[in-house]
Amino acid sequence: MTDASGPVPASRPYSGPVGERGSWGRPQQPANLADILERVLDKGIIIAGDIRVNLLDIELLTIKIRLLIVSVDKAKEMGIDWWRNDPMLSTSEQGLADENRRLRERLEELESGEGSSQGG
Amino acid sequence: MAEQATGHGGRLVGRGRYLYAVSRGLPSDALADVPGLGDGRLEVLEHQGLSAVVSDVDLEEYGEEGLRRNLERLDWLEEVARRHDEVVHAVAEHGPVAPLRLATICLDDVGVRRRVEQWHDALEQVLDRVEGRGEWSVKAFAARAEPQPAASDAAGEGGAAYLRRKKAETLTRAEGEEQALKVAEEVHARLSAVSVASRRLPPQDPRLTGHVGTMTLNGAYLVDTARADEFADAVRAAQADHPEAGIDAAGPWPPYSFAMLEQP
Repeated sequence: MTDASGPVPASRPYSGPVGERGSWGRPQQPANLADILERVLDKGIIIAGDIRVNLLDIELLTIKIRLLIVSVDKAKEMGIDWWRNDPMLSTSEQGLADENRRLRERLEELESGEGSSQGG
Repeated sequence: MAEQATGHGGRLVGRGRYLYAVSRGLPSDALADVPGLGDGRLEVLEHQGLSAVVSDVDLEEYGEEGLRRNLERLDWLEEVARRHDEVVHAVAEHGPVAPLRLATICLDDVGVRRRVEQWHDALEQVLDRVEGRGEWSVKAFAARAEPQPAASDAAGEGGAAYLRRKKAETLTRAEGEEQALKVAEEVHARLSAVSVASRRLPPQDPRLTGHVGTMTLNGAYLVDTARADEFADAVRAAQADHPEAGIDAAGPWPPYSFAMLEQP
């Protein structure tokens, strides 16, 4: 349908125009991975299941940092650092610098191997 | 019921119940066409007035050991994260949704019901808070500073002129950043005014998102569906006022950023 008012211009429209009824449907375009991961890994309700997987485990945290924190140096320089109050991240603040350095290296590795299988 | 057995090396093998989200009043066939993880069939467990959305998963893949291994694989993580999100979206089409964090897994339905019981009141509170509302994501950026063409008085050859130019560039960049931060604050305030609740999330990695420049705003806004037009207008107005900020809106998301349990 053509909508005179038009959708909110969005470079990555997710589920359709604002205000359109029933716009919960499946995304017309896949949302970007960073958006999804920050929500399903960082947000949402935490209830401990029978399978104990602590997303705070350093191993998974490495992914969080790899995905979300790599851009942060620049942001911090600009004074954007409110997430330091985020318990998900601040609990691991110690050693973060070291961790970050390792991750940068690993990210470079991953990026250079992009597209190929990561198995093994 | 999930079968459990202890396999080689004491590993738990069999099936577990992956818990995606909790809703209420969800028809049992509401998700019939939506595939779960591993294309498993989604089921709705009704318990104490709440609807838990679950599917079977293989504990080889989703047991503690499997998860530790698999969560390190970005391709696996992406697939699971997208599927999890799709299911949560599908639930949101039918009613209020409290999305569970990725990889919430019980051994059987008894375990799922126990969690629902334990967190019942807090889940009800979350559902009350998000009912009839959606989450919008709005981002703004500080454009990467372009070197200004040298002004005539700063032009010229030699070291001194070069240093003058450099200094001017640095100054311009700092001013630009300061301005970009102000814009982000202002946009966030405007959008918060037409939202029920708002949060600023950490900026994202440009290598994942493909954006250029520094993300100055990664905002999440809980918006009444009835006021979605008003919110859209506010976004359009902000875009018009700040074309340089590349303001980008996406949604509605299920209310991930606003679904937090109070401690029981």
